[in-house]
Amino acid sequence: MNITPCSIKTLKGLYDISGVEVGQHFYWQIGGFQIHAQVLITSWFVITILLGSVIIAVRNPQTIPTDGQNFFEYVLEFIRDLSKTQIGEEYGPWVPFIGTMFLFIFVSNWSGALLPWKIIELPHGELAAPTNDINTTVALALLTSAAYFYAGLSKKGLSYFEKYIKPTPILLPINILEDFTKPLSLSFRLFGNILADELVVVVLVSLVPLVVPIPVMFLGLFTSGIQALIFATLAAAYIGESMEGHH
Amino acid sequence: MKNVTHSFVFLAHWPFAGSFGLNTDILATNLINLTVVVGVLIFFGKGVLKDLLDNRKQRILSTIRNSEELRRGTLEQLEKARIRLQKVELEADEYRMNGYSEIEREKENLINATSISLEQLEKSKNETLFYEKQRAMNQVRQRVFQQAVQGALGTLNSCLNTELHFRTIRANIGILGAIEWKR
Repeated sequence: MNITPCSIKTLKGLYDISGVEVGQHFYWQIGGFQIHAQVLITSWFVITILLGSVIIAVRNPQTIPTDGQNFFEYVLEFIRDLSKTQIGEEYGPWVPFIGTMFLFIFVSNWSGALLPWKIIELPHGELAAPTNDINTTVALALLTSAAYFYAGLSKKGLSYFEKYIKPTPILLPINILEDFTKPLSLSFRLFGNILADELVVVVLVSLVPLVVPIPVMFLGLFTSGIQALIFATLAAAYIGESMEGHH
Repeated sequence: MKNVTHSFVFLAHWPFAGSFGLNTDILATNLINLTVVVGVLIFFGKGVLKDLLDNRKQRILSTIRNSEELRRGTLEQLEKARIRLQKVELEADEYRMNGYSEIEREKENLINATSISLEQLEKSKNETLFYEKQRAMNQVRQRVFQQAVQGALGTLNSCLNTELHFRTIRANIGILGAIEWKR
């Protein structure tokens, strides 16, 4: 308790003025782990939205697609195109993974930007997009890492590791480093963008409640979509990169 | 001051039990802005999405129609081909039948001709045989006659004497005379 009263005062004062909560979480204790419950709640919500809409849309499939089915087929086509352009010929098995990444991130981001989560008050922290939390994005990025390692190893076997000394063995450290920077950049990019979007909106709202935040919110929507696309594209590109060059 | 410190310590620990609630402050929850954003999004997004989906649907429809047409064309061709096949089969049957009857007729003709020629041959054979027989009989007859004549000549030569000579002449004269007399 070495915090000086002065700093506490200023902190408290700032906190009261801005009303912006950063780094506050609503914790659940599950099996010795402290879990960010607000992320789990919004994630479940996003998952429910996705699964529910998909189930409703493809409950009664038609040859000539009706509205919902048509929309989801369009989305699927989009994801398949994306996977195909990034991965190449053998994109088939990776469409579900890429699609899951894209849809989860996209719906998460947009739910954070469009739904009035703040109506529901939590004991601590506040509900926001699941991708607003570094844990979610790191989990997604690590999944991507695991996916591209699996893709490379299952395609080439142990000769997959030849790529580390591919141009010259001098690049070995950099190539190894790349395996760490990839998930790092993926997770931080997504996390930073979404958090920044939401923060900007929250700050603007706390300053000028009406009208002024609207353009920024649209910008946030745009960025959110772009971020989801970037994440999916990069995941697909990494997978494709680890599978290419097989003889 | 102590209170604040306490609250900070409290914050640092973050208790797990708490209360959920509804934040009814419209400005703090950013409801109006969100409504505007969602409204604008729906207003503009709907048209774009509708166009997009309609286009897609039209594309699917036209693709289906095209393939239906292709299928129909193919079916028609199949039907035509089947009809032609039937016709050709019929023709082939006809030809086969014709061929069979032709062959049958040819066979019959051939058999007839052969039998006729056979009959002729038989007849000529018979005739030949008959003539041969006739000739043989004639030869035999001739030979027998010759022998008989020779025998008679021998007999005549051996037992012809004057008295017999005269008697014969006389008999002949008598016969001739009787003929003359009758006349």
